[in-house]
Amino acid sequence: MGSKLTDKKRKQVESDSESDNELANGLFDGVLSQSESDDDDYIASGDEDEDVDDSGSEDSEGTDDDEDENDDGFSSDEIPSDVEHEDEMDKLAKKQEELEITEPGVDPKPRKKAEEEEEGRNYRIEKDANGGERYVYDEIDPVYDSDDTDFNEPANTIGNIPLSFYDSYPHIGYDINGKKIMRPATGDALQSLLDSIEVPEGWTGLTDINTGNPLNLTKEELELVRRVQMGLLPEDVEDPYPDTVEWFTSVEEKMPLSAAPEPKRRFVPSKNEAKQIMKLVRAIREGRILPYKPPEEREKELEEQEEQYFDLWQNEEPRAPNPMHIPAPKLPPPGYDLSYNPPEEYLPTKEEREAWEKEDPEDREKDYLPTKYDALRKVPAWGSFVKERFERCMDLYLAPRVRKNRLNIDPNSLLPKLPSPSELKPFPTVVQTIFRGHDGRVRSVAIDPTGVALATGGDDGTVRVWELLTGRQVWSVKLSSDEPVNTVRWRPTKDAFILAAAAGEDIFLMVPTHASVTPALDQASRDILSAGFGYATNGQQQQLAPGKEPPGKWSRPGTKLEDEGVLIKITVRSAVKVINWHRRGDHFCTVSPRGQRSSVAIHTLSKHLTQIPFRKLAGLAQTAAFHPLRPLFFVATQRTIRCYDLQKLELVKIVQPGAKWISSFDIHPGGDNLIVGSYDKRLLWHDLDLSNRPYKTMRFHGEAIRQVRYHKGGLPLFADASDDGTLQIFHGKVPNDQLENPTIVPVKMLKGHKVVSKLGVLDIDWHPREPWCVSAGADGTARLWM
Amino acid sequence: MGKVKKKGQAGQAKNYMTRTQAVKKLQLSLPDFRKLCIWKGIYPREPRNRKKVSKSATASTTFYYTKDIQFLLHEPLLQKFREQKVLEKKISRALGRGDVSDAARLERNAARPDKTGKPRYTLNHIIRERYPTFADALRDLDDCLSMLFLFANLPSTTAVPAKMIARCERLCLEFEHYLIASHSLRKSFLSIKGIYYQANIQGEDVLWLVPYKFNQRVVGDVDFRIMGTFVEFYMTLLGFVNYRLYTSIGLKYPPRFDQLKDEGGAELGAFSLEGANLATAETKAIANGEQQGPDPKVQAEVDKLVRQLRDEESAASKADGAAEESAAEAANGDADADADEPNDAIDKFEPAAPGGDVLPQPAYSSSDPSQLFAGLTVYLSRETPRQPLEFLLRAFGCKRVGWDEVLGAGAFTHDESDPRITHQIVDRPVIRAAVADEGDGEDNQTAQKLAANRRYPGRIYVQPQWVWDSVNDEELKSPEQYAPGAQLPPHLSPFVKPTQGQYDPTLPLEEQQTEAEAIEAALEDEKEGEAGSDDEVENDMDVAEDDEDDDESDGGSEEEEEEEEDEEEEEDGDEEEDEDEEATLERQRELEAELTGKAVKREKVDPKTKAKLEAKKALERRKKQEAEELERAKGMLSKKKRKLFEQMQYTNSKKSAEDAKLRQKRRRLEKERAAA
Repeated sequence: MGSKLTDKKRKQVESDSESDNELANGLFDGVLSQSESDDDDYIASGDEDEDVDDSGSEDSEGTDDDEDENDDGFSSDEIPSDVEHEDEMDKLAKKQEELEITEPGVDPKPRKKAEEEEEGRNYRIEKDANGGERYVYDEIDPVYDSDDTDFNEPANTIGNIPLSFYDSYPHIGYDINGKKIMRPATGDALQSLLDSIEVPEGWTGLTDINTGNPLNLTKEELELVRRVQMGLLPEDVEDPYPDTVEWFTSVEEKMPLSAAPEPKRRFVPSKNEAKQIMKLVRAIREGRILPYKPPEEREKELEEQEEQYFDLWQNEEPRAPNPMHIPAPKLPPPGYDLSYNPPEEYLPTKEEREAWEKEDPEDREKDYLPTKYDALRKVPAWGSFVKERFERCMDLYLAPRVRKNRLNIDPNSLLPKLPSPSELKPFPTVVQTIFRGHDGRVRSVAIDPTGVALATGGDDGTVRVWELLTGRQVWSVKLSSDEPVNTVRWRPTKDAFILAAAAGEDIFLMVPTHASVTPALDQASRDILSAGFGYATNGQQQQLAPGKEPPGKWSRPGTKLEDEGVLIKITVRSAVKVINWHRRGDHFCTVSPRGQRSSVAIHTLSKHLTQIPFRKLAGLAQTAAFHPLRPLFFVATQRTIRCYDLQKLELVKIVQPGAKWISSFDIHPGGDNLIVGSYDKRLLWHDLDLSNRPYKTMRFHGEAIRQVRYHKGGLPLFADASDDGTLQIFHGKVPNDQLENPTIVPVKMLKGHKVVSKLGVLDIDWHPREPWCVSAGADGTARLWM
Repeated sequence: MGKVKKKGQAGQAKNYMTRTQAVKKLQLSLPDFRKLCIWKGIYPREPRNRKKVSKSATASTTFYYTKDIQFLLHEPLLQKFREQKVLEKKISRALGRGDVSDAARLERNAARPDKTGKPRYTLNHIIRERYPTFADALRDLDDCLSMLFLFANLPSTTAVPAKMIARCERLCLEFEHYLIASHSLRKSFLSIKGIYYQANIQGEDVLWLVPYKFNQRVVGDVDFRIMGTFVEFYMTLLGFVNYRLYTSIGLKYPPRFDQLKDEGGAELGAFSLEGANLATAETKAIANGEQQGPDPKVQAEVDKLVRQLRDEESAASKADGAAEESAAEAANGDADADADEPNDAIDKFEPAAPGGDVLPQPAYSSSDPSQLFAGLTVYLSRETPRQPLEFLLRAFGCKRVGWDEVLGAGAFTHDESDPRITHQIVDRPVIRAAVADEGDGEDNQTAQKLAANRRYPGRIYVQPQWVWDSVNDEELKSPEQYAPGAQLPPHLSPFVKPTQGQYDPTLPLEEQQTEAEAIEAALEDEKEGEAGSDDEVENDMDVAEDDEDDDESDGGSEEEEEEEEDEEEEEDGDEEEDEDEEATLERQRELEAELTGKAVKREKVDPKTKAKLEAKKALERRKKQEAEELERAKGMLSKKKRKLFEQMQYTNSKKSAEDAKLRQKRRRLEKERAAA
C-alpha cells in the first residue's frame, strides 16, 4: 500500500511537470520539433513500467489515489481498504461521487490518455533550420527531477573562455539547448556614463558571463559582503555561542527537597550501637581491654614486632653480580705472629721492638708487635679493638674501592728468552792492538776487503795504512795540511787495492803500498783508476753549460802525491764527510752535509764522472749508502732515511726512525734490516719489511752515537760507537724465516777510548771475516778489539 | 669547527658525583646520607682521572657513581628520613616557642606511627636487595659477626644503648647455638687481639674475631653513630640469617629464651632449642645433659603418665624420680636416634678393579671432628675463660661442661669433686710447696673445697690451649705437653696455608733453609767448634778467592743447582757486599806481600772446611753470573715491563728476606737451646 502511495505521488508530480513543459513549449516554440525514439531515460522508462503494471486497474487506482489524498484529513488508510474488499461497487460509486465533488468539470480519463503519449518521451522532435530532425528536450523541473540544487537561469555553456571572444557577435554564447544567448541591449554611451556617475546599489561594473547583463549584487549579497569584510559571522545571528541548555541535567541534587517528615528512627537512640558500646564497656570492666598502655610496654611490643623474622630468602633467585660492584675485601686471616704464644722466632728482637715503637703509628707495617704470653690468663685485652673495628667500618663505607689486578706470576717469566751466552759467542771482548801515530783525532777507520790492512784518517790530514794484527804503520800520506781527513773507505772488491779518502772538498783515490800488494795487483789497481781519464774528455762533462761548474772535477793530484800512490783527486763543491762504495766498486757516493743541493754525489770510477742525483733534497743529507744487494740507494737526512730505486728513479720508501738527528746508519747484509744511530743517544733497529717505524729502540749510551756498523762477514753482530767513549756490541740475528722477528741481545760494552773534548769514539769498522772490530777514537788512537 | 664542548657535560664527568652533590640531590642531611650509604652498601669510587671528573676547581675528596646515587633515589627509606626530619623540626619549633607540653606530645606521639609520628622502618628489603641469595649473605658475614660480638661485649653508654647490646648478645648466642647444633665450627685461634673462629656454613667459610672478655677500652675518636648504623644493619641481617639457619636444620627460631637463667649468667644455657615441627616438638636438651632440670613439656607428659599410673595402680610414686628417669630415657632416645640416622657423610670410593683413574675426594677422616670431645666431661676452673671454652667444647661434641660457680649458671656441675669429670682445664701456676704442705690433705676427702692446687686422681688436667690445639689438629693432643705449669708448645695459626718457599715453623729448619744458609751455618758451626783465630778463617777465604780467579769460565755445576736459584737471589745484596769487602781486603794483603817480598801467608786448612768454602765460592760465583745475566735480560725489557718486574722483585725479595730473618732467628735459638 505504501509503495503504491509513492507511485501515485510521483505520477502526480509528473502531471505537474507536464504542465510546466507545456509552458516551456510555449516559450521556445521555434526551436522545438517532433522526434521520437526509444530512449530509456530514467523517468520515461520508469513511467512506462508503471504503465504496464497498472494498465489493468488503471481507473481504480487513479481513483484510489485521489481518494487517499482526500481521505488523509479525516481517516486512516485501513478503513477504505477494508471497505474496498467488502464491496467494490459501492466503493466505486462513492469515489465517483467524491471525485465529482473535488474536481468538478474535469474529466480525468481523457487527460490521462493524452499524457500517456507524452509521457513515453521527454523530448519533442522538431525540424531544424536544415530540415533535419531535432530533439528538443523537456525542461527539467529542478525542484524534483534534477540533482542540481542551485538551478539558475538558463546558463551560458561556452565554458571557461573569455567573453571577449564573442565581442564581434550579437550573442554571447549558447544555452543548454544550443540556442544563442543574445547580448542584452546595452545603453548607449551617454547611458553608461550616467550609470557610472550614478552608481546604483549593488553595482559592480562587471558583466555577468552568463547573461551578458551588468552584474549587480542584491541587497542580501551586499550585506553578506559587508559582514565578511567586518570580520563578523556571515549570517546575522543574535548569539553565536549560546549556553547549552541542559534539559536533562547530569548533576544529582545533593539535598532533594522533600517534604517527607523525619522518620522516627532519627530521634530514637540506636539499639545496635548501644549493644556495641556495652560490649566494649563490658570488656573494659572485665579488664579485657586496657584503656591505656604504658609507653614502655608499647615500646616493647613494637620492638617485638620489629624482630619478626621470616625466611627472607624463600624464593631466592641468584642475580648476576653487577659488574660495577666491587665487594669489600675480607680482612686477611691472622698469621703465626699474631698468636698469643707464637714460635719464638717470630718475637721481635730488642732493636726491632725499639724501631717499631719509634715509628709513627701510621707508618707501621703491622699494628701489633708479636708478644708471647706463657699462659692464656695473662693475655690482656687488645687495646685498640674498638678502634680497629671502627676503622674497618670507615673503610667499608668511605674507602673508594678500586679493582687492582695483582699479577700472580713469576717475575722471571717477564724476562725475554735470551740465547745462552755460548750461542752468542764469538764477539769482541778485549782490545788487541792500539794504533798510535795520528796527531789529533782519528776520524775514520777502514779495514781492507782482504782483512790485512787498516786505513785510518785523522785530524792531521794524513791517511795511514797499518798492519792490522801487529799495529805497524806501513804507509802514510799527507793529503792536506789544513783540512782533516774525514773519511777513508776501501774499494770493496779484492781485485784491486784502492782506498778512497776525503779531506775537505777533495776526494782522493789512492793505491797504498802494502806487503800483501803484489805488483800485479798494484798495476791492476792503477789501471782501474786511470781507465777513466780518456773517457772524461769525451764524456758527459762536456755537455754542461759553459758557465756552470761541473759537480766534480777529476784530476791528477800532482806528482808529489802521485809518487806516494795517490792517483786521482776529485774536487767537489763542499767538504765531504762520508764516502760509501757500491758493492761492485765502480761507483761510490759522497755526502757533504753543507753542500745543499749538491750534497749527495755519485761518482763513477770507470768514467771519471760525478753526478748529482738530487736536484732538491728535503733536509740536510747526513749520510748515504747503496743497498748491498739491490739497486737501491739510501739517503739519510736529519730525521728520515729515504730509499730510492736507481733503476726506476723513484722514491721507494721513507724510513722514520723518530730520532732527532740521525748520525749514521747501516744496512744489514741481508738487505732487509737497518740500524740507525742518532745524536740523541738512540740506536734504532728497523725491519724494512715490517714498518717504517723502528722495531727496537736501544738507549744504552750516555752520549751521542756517532757510528753504527753491521758485521758484513756473516756473523750476527753489530756495533755502535758513542761519544761516551764506549763501543757496544750487540748480537743481532736476523732469522731466515720471514715471519720471525730478529733477536737483538746486547752482549758487550767495550771501554778503552778516552773522551777528549766531549768526543769519544768516532768511527768503527768490522773485520770482513773475523769477529773483530776497529774503532777510531778522539784520543788519537785506533783500537782493534777481538 | 665543531660544537664547543663544555666541561663536565660528557664522559667521565657525568659518571661521577661528589658527595656534596649527592647529598643535595637526595635532599638529605649528611648523617642520613651516611646511613643510607652504609645500609645500601654504596661506597665511593676512585675515578681514573680526578681532574677530568671534578667540576669545581677545588679538589674534591669523595666521588660516587651517579648511577649509584640515582639508585638511592628510589629507596623507600628516603621518605622515612624526610618524615623524621619533619618531626624533628616540629619538636624543635615547639621547644623554640617554649611550648614544652606540645613538644612532649609530639615526642610521645612519635612512638605511635599511626598518629603523626616517628617513622618506623625495617631494613628487610635492603637485606634482600643486597644479598639476593642466602649464600651472598653468608659471604658477607665476617664483618657482621666481628662487629656484633664486639658490641655484645661493650659497656652500655649513651651512644650504645643497653638494649642494643642485649640484642647483639642474644643474636650472637643464637648463632653460636646454631654452630653447636650443626657442628659447623671448624677452627679457632687464640691471638693477641682476641679469639678467631672459623666456621663453614653451607660451604661458605666465615671467619670472625671475638674480643677477650674484658672491658673494652675506647681510644681515639671513634664515632659510635657510624658503628651504630652498621650494627643496626648487621643485627637485622644476623636475625634473618639465624632464622634461615635454624629452619634449615629443623629448629624453631627464635629459640626459647630463659630470662631467669640469663640473669644468672648462663649465657649459652639460657636458650633452649625447639624443633620447628610442632608435632615432634621436643625440646632439645642443648644445655648440660641430665643436669638440666626437668623440661616443662617433658614434665607435663610425665605428669600425665604418672597420673595414669596412679589411676591404674593407685600406688604412690615419686613424681620427681619418675620425671628424672623419663627425662633420662628421652635423652637416651635422642642419642639412639642420632646413631640410627642415615649418615650423610661422603662415602669412600675404593677402586674395585685396577686400571681406573683415581678421582680426588675430600679428605675422609675416620674420626668425626665434630665429635672430638664427645665422651668427655670437662670441668673449667674459675681462672679459665668460660665462654669460649664452653662454646668450643660444645661445638666439638662435648655434652657435659661444668664450671666453677663464679663463672655463672648453666653448668653441668658446679662441683669440682664430681667423679664424672674426666678433664679439668686449669690455667694457674703450680705451687710445689702448697702440694707438699697438703700431703695429708688427700685423706680428708670429705672436705667440700679443695685447695687451689689440689688434684683429683683419675682426671686429666690440661691448660686451655689444649682445647684449641686439639680442635685445630682435629685430634686430642697428648695432655702431657699441656699439663699445668708446663712450657706450652707454640700456638700456631690454623689459617696460614703453607706455600712453597715460605717459612713454616712446623717444619725442621734443615728442610727449608737455602743452600747458602746451610753452608753458612755449617761454617759457623765449625768456626765455633775449632775455636781458632779469626786469622785462620780469613786465610781460608784467600784460598777460595784464588780458586775463583782460576776457573773463571767454569759453569759446570750450573744446571744442577738451578732449582735453588730463586731462593739464592734473595740474599744477593748482603753477600755481594761481603764478597767485595773480602776481595778488597785480600787484594790489599797481596799488595803488601808483594811489597815486602814475602809470600802471602797461607795456612793449612781442614779439607772438609775447604770443600765447604769452595762450595760457597762456587755459589757466589754462580750468583754473580746470574745477576749479570739478569741485568742483561732486564735491559731488553721495555720500561713499563721493567718497572713491573722490579716491583715484583721487590715484594718477593722483601718476603723472602723476612723468611730468611725468621730462619736465622730460629737457628740462633736452636743453637742456644742446644747449648743449654
